[in-house]
Amino acid sequence: MSDELDEIQAIFFEECAEGLVTAEQGLSAMAGGDVSADVIAGVFRAVHSIKGGAGAFGHAALTAFSHRFENVLDEVRAGRIAPTPGVTAVMLTAFDILSDHVEASKGTAPAPADAAALAALDEVLATGGAGTPAAPVAAATPVIEAADDFGFTPVTAVIDDLDPFGFEPIGVMLEDLDPQPAEAPSEVAGWTVRFAPSRSALANGGEPLLVVREVEHLGGSVVDIDCSALPPLRDLDPEESYMVWTLSAPATLPQADIAECFDFVSPDSIIEITRAEPPADTDLELAPSSAAAAPDPGHAAPEPTSATTAFSPNRAPEPEVLALAVVPKSDTPRAAEPAAQTIRVDLTKLDMLLNLVGELVIRNSILTDRLSPKEQQRVELPELARLTREIQDNVMSLRAQPIKQAFSRVPRMLRDLSVETGKLVLLETTGESTEVDKGVIEKIGDPLTHMIRNAVDHGIESPDDRAAVGKPREGTIRLSAEQKSARIFVRVSDDGRGIDRARVRAKAVEKGIIPADAVLSNEEIDQLICAPGFSTAESISNISGRGVGMDVVRSNVEALGGRVEISSVPGQGTTFTMILPLTLAILDGMVVRLAGQRYVLPLATVVESVKPEPGQVRPMSRTTEVIELRGNYLPVRRLGDLFGFGGKGRAPEDSLVIIVESEAGHVGLMVDTIEDRREVVIKSLDQNLHPIRGLGGATILGDGSIALILDVEALVGSSASAPQHSLKGLAA
Amino acid sequence: MSKLILTVDDSASMRMLLKTSLSQQGFRIEGATDGVHGLERMHEVNPDLLITDINMPRMDGFELIEAVRALPQFRGTPILVLSTEFSDDKKARARSAGATGWITKPFEATKLGAAVRRVCP
Repeated sequence: MSDELDEIQAIFFEECAEGLVTAEQGLSAMAGGDVSADVIAGVFRAVHSIKGGAGAFGHAALTAFSHRFENVLDEVRAGRIAPTPGVTAVMLTAFDILSDHVEASKGTAPAPADAAALAALDEVLATGGAGTPAAPVAAATPVIEAADDFGFTPVTAVIDDLDPFGFEPIGVMLEDLDPQPAEAPSEVAGWTVRFAPSRSALANGGEPLLVVREVEHLGGSVVDIDCSALPPLRDLDPEESYMVWTLSAPATLPQADIAECFDFVSPDSIIEITRAEPPADTDLELAPSSAAAAPDPGHAAPEPTSATTAFSPNRAPEPEVLALAVVPKSDTPRAAEPAAQTIRVDLTKLDMLLNLVGELVIRNSILTDRLSPKEQQRVELPELARLTREIQDNVMSLRAQPIKQAFSRVPRMLRDLSVETGKLVLLETTGESTEVDKGVIEKIGDPLTHMIRNAVDHGIESPDDRAAVGKPREGTIRLSAEQKSARIFVRVSDDGRGIDRARVRAKAVEKGIIPADAVLSNEEIDQLICAPGFSTAESISNISGRGVGMDVVRSNVEALGGRVEISSVPGQGTTFTMILPLTLAILDGMVVRLAGQRYVLPLATVVESVKPEPGQVRPMSRTTEVIELRGNYLPVRRLGDLFGFGGKGRAPEDSLVIIVESEAGHVGLMVDTIEDRREVVIKSLDQNLHPIRGLGGATILGDGSIALILDVEALVGSSASAPQHSLKGLAA
Repeated sequence: MSKLILTVDDSASMRMLLKTSLSQQGFRIEGATDGVHGLERMHEVNPDLLITDINMPRMDGFELIEAVRALPQFRGTPILVLSTEFSDDKKARARSAGATGWITKPFEATKLGAAVRRVCP
């Protein structure tokens, strides 16, 4: 059972994440001037839902904070507080804290300090809502407030908590305000309940008899039924109620429990709950309009109609709320999925399906290889292949999610950066509904963070500098995503100063990344930003400039089988583009042959292939070789040596050298031949074998044979003890 | 045959929570994601009880209740509102729209069951 609840709670946190995205988009739109009712309602609903779920799962701090946030949103929604930039700014801050509270509830972060944000919200509520008194939230003491926020207070605080709940007339006599059930039950008389449903009590699905039964169920019994109002049969309207019940209930029963039975009774019904003191005194009291005016014998209110209420006035503050951390009984194990338009599926099931479809694709290509075109037609293979492709596309789309999940943290980050740097930044986002594999989305968070930080720190100028060159004081960062064939392009562009190539070059020389006399194109200079250890920040700032930024971007993106492109126009800005695969399950590969075996090189890492002239590959030492390429010397590795085939491989001039890109720079891999370029379905090796350095996985080729997929980064990394996690990049 | 309840809430976790709590207490549960979906599902499942949230996209709980009550076959079907809101005017609005009762979120499973049995034995 607790598994089941954990599962539901996990879904709740997913909803929180979605809600936070919605709220943030709405608040950003509001900050941008769009204060339409729909936008405001969307933000309200998102925060409201978070509050509701948080309450259900017993996250008191999250509930309390979202409640206070919601109060302000409610006023804004109702038009009582104008969504001025000041008010929106307060809400954006509150949003940030709300995000932190969500994280804290997950247990992934400490509880945020929210006092300042709460004070700001209260301030808005107090001053912004001219027509509304500040009292409901601002004036109360913290403890009472907590009760106001749905009673997440200790059970012992019941009495205190009841008072602030005068918000609704209580239709029952709270003669006994003491919630601790009678210290000496034997001395206390039982309860007498008089219940006169209104004529319309049967409307809208109401059924007074069920209420009577519920009281009986609690141990009460019917003492009297007054049928005097019952008309003759021909005048009787079966949809009206005519009876008046008098019930008794055990003295030990808390009054609130009895009152609760009458929660749904129609508002103009009469409900009186009194201690049946001396049995003789059957003059029952009617309910005055509040708990405060309770137990004065002889104080009878003859017209209690307005005082009675049906909609559970006294539920909220009770200690039951504390127990609401949903502890259903554990006797029924069945967890049921909600019947809805969507269905949530365990990711492993989806991956298994994807895997099987991969097999199907492979079988298909095996058949295509083995059958002659005529035979293929005869068995209708092309149709099968088409269906298989469609299934594959569909299954892959199941794992696809809108990239806006990855974008959702950006606005907040920009706000923080803006505060840290004093730069003014506007964000424009497009294409956030572009769908990408979940695995890709999860892995581009870090690169995206670095790219945005880099853009703010190094790209966007200070407001004064911008003004000086005639630009608007606010810089703009454009974040976009689009799909082109099987690739996703994620761009971060700024309208800042652009890359200062002279400085980048000088820095690279200083850091020993390039020789002083290297001849580099503009593009090559731009790429230096991604070189390990490169940083041009004049002072190491908090944000980027730690020299781990852009090379992390590059290595992360490459681990995903993607690449990073940089383009920059001095004075006008820089664009970073991450070009990512749509899925991690399929790899664009180059099939190469070596010693009779076939291997797959990820195409994203391949720069070019070279058929060496005699003498172009030459030994540097006993174990290392280099290839001379357009005046540069690149290290060459013989794949056969790397895999320990030993012996003498082919002569270089009978081989091919594939130049690959790695963190260590360009490296040549010597193979026998290139056989093919094709998309391969990646099969993980890790489940079956120890991680093998240099291998990222395996695939089955069209003829049914197995080819190993090479992990270039691990292969060419010079240190033998380098960590092996880079293997995962391919096999994920 | 156990009673059939349609729960309408845009939050999947809330629907699951309701389903878990109430199916343990012998109810059969169907779900819908907002007012529009809820109205469709009313016709499909013809429940013994409707439990609806208030704040939902497309069609909110008030509109749903009015729409359901306008249909003769659901005139007597009990409808409970399950909402974190608890203001008088909201409750009054729900009542005039045709709601049978109001339960404030968060709820405790046993209390919820009692409230449900109060209108749907």
